[in-house]
Amino acid sequence: MQKKVIKYALSIVALIVVAYNSIYFKSLDEVKAASAVKQFDAASYAHHFFNKKLMPGIDKAVEIDALLKLVQSDPSKAFLSYSHALGIGNIRYFLVKGEGTIKAIGENTTTISYISDTTQKQLEIATEFVYGNAIRDASGLININEFNSTMDFNNVSAEINKIVRSEVLPSFKANGKVGDRIKFSGAIELNQAHLNLDHIEVVPITLKLESK
Amino acid sequence: MIKHFPQPFLLLLLSLLIVTSSCKNKAASDQPRKIAVVVSTLNNPWFVFLAQKASAKAKELGYEAKIFDSQNNTALETEHFENAIASGYSAILFNPTDAEGSVANVMRAKAAKVPVFCMDREVNTTDGATSQILSDSYSGCVAIGRYFVEKLNKQGKYVELLGLVSDNNTWNRSKGFHSLVDNYPGLKMVAQQSADFDRNKAMEVLESILQANPDIDAVFCGNDAMAMGAYQALVAAGKAGHVKVFGFDGAEDAVDAIKNGKVEATAMQFPQVMAETAAQYADEYFKGKREFPKKMPVAVELVTQNNVGDYIAYGKKDEGK
Repeated sequence: MQKKVIKYALSIVALIVVAYNSIYFKSLDEVKAASAVKQFDAASYAHHFFNKKLMPGIDKAVEIDALLKLVQSDPSKAFLSYSHALGIGNIRYFLVKGEGTIKAIGENTTTISYISDTTQKQLEIATEFVYGNAIRDASGLININEFNSTMDFNNVSAEINKIVRSEVLPSFKANGKVGDRIKFSGAIELNQAHLNLDHIEVVPITLKLESK
Repeated sequence: MIKHFPQPFLLLLLSLLIVTSSCKNKAASDQPRKIAVVVSTLNNPWFVFLAQKASAKAKELGYEAKIFDSQNNTALETEHFENAIASGYSAILFNPTDAEGSVANVMRAKAAKVPVFCMDREVNTTDGATSQILSDSYSGCVAIGRYFVEKLNKQGKYVELLGLVSDNNTWNRSKGFHSLVDNYPGLKMVAQQSADFDRNKAMEVLESILQANPDIDAVFCGNDAMAMGAYQALVAAGKAGHVKVFGFDGAEDAVDAIKNGKVEATAMQFPQVMAETAAQYADEYFKGKREFPKKMPVAVELVTQNNVGDYIAYGKKDEGK
């Protein structure tokens, strides 16, 4: 009889030990916080990239006039020397800088004129459609192997563009006038199989106005 | 038992064994490696093109290649993987049937040390395939989104026809499009429905949507087959020419429709680039390379009435590679 009691008591203790170790409680906030840590934070990545990697080297961007002349005379060399892209394909991006005079202010772009040798040329600064991968890819500073998912590097582009739309464009759009001198840096997209140099659009990274 | 055999006889037997075994190894090493091309379906010309180009590139690189048709059936896809592994295929160039459902097959190949290179469609795991070479659908649809906003002057009502809801490409395209278009409150999406990437279904779905929303200005479709189906529905409703249609893929009929002004734009994918890159990666793997990008996006190009002359179906123009 005593043996039976001991047997049952031991079984109950074993059951309690197993049950205790099988179940545990955690607050929902803790679990949410832990999973949030694991998720890729595109906004933080974009801010760090923009401020700590892209901006310090922005002066090393190629002069747009020199680049476009090289693209015309020796496209292979121009693409090989100055273009970047995270993926493969015909679309490549260039980090550029330049200066000129505001010639017209449109709904979606601002037209800049500049002198190339003795000829007056024009290009557009995007002021509305700041989307896509131009800024992310143009510097060549981001390695695709840093990302596990396609959506992560898509989100990096979206967040970088958001910085430009919220921090770079508002003061330019509010203060820029026709006739103002402007220094700019930014990214351009060119299709190496179907080159079109008639319409160059710069996605801006910096825009510095010098009033008349 | 062995001790009863005369020693010279044992030595002779051993030598014969070594010679025959080395002959067999030599014969095996003389055979070219085999590459399996497992494709989701051969009922769609786009995937036929993808499979043929992958197979052709593998052969050009000196390998045997065979195409397996999964007929959009993951069970059949599993059989193909099992057969390929059992038959000694050295690599699989893979167009998955289902982002989630195909994961097990990729993991099966990985366990058998057979590298898998995904083409065009992805699987929802980052450690299964050696590399996934995929159209940059999201960015392609950002470009379409911009053109869409410009053509509609930032105002209007529109319908979105989605592809297969289980396919990642469906959502990458939709998200890319909305990442831009949703910033314009003047553009109102009155309906968003799946038509499974199917032309006939797209026609039926849009006909039904038009009953409740006869005043739409545009239709954005997740592929060109649906764009063509949508256009047929608009013709039947007498609205062709008034409602702008946008597709994705770069299929032959859509490129022709852009030339004829029936469709506004598509996003050109490059199946040949994806197929040939996958075969090239397999070749590099056999030669000892082990570091490959887990996901390699292939740029997608916006095709409109302004530049359609630069393109033909599937971006086949030589200079487009």
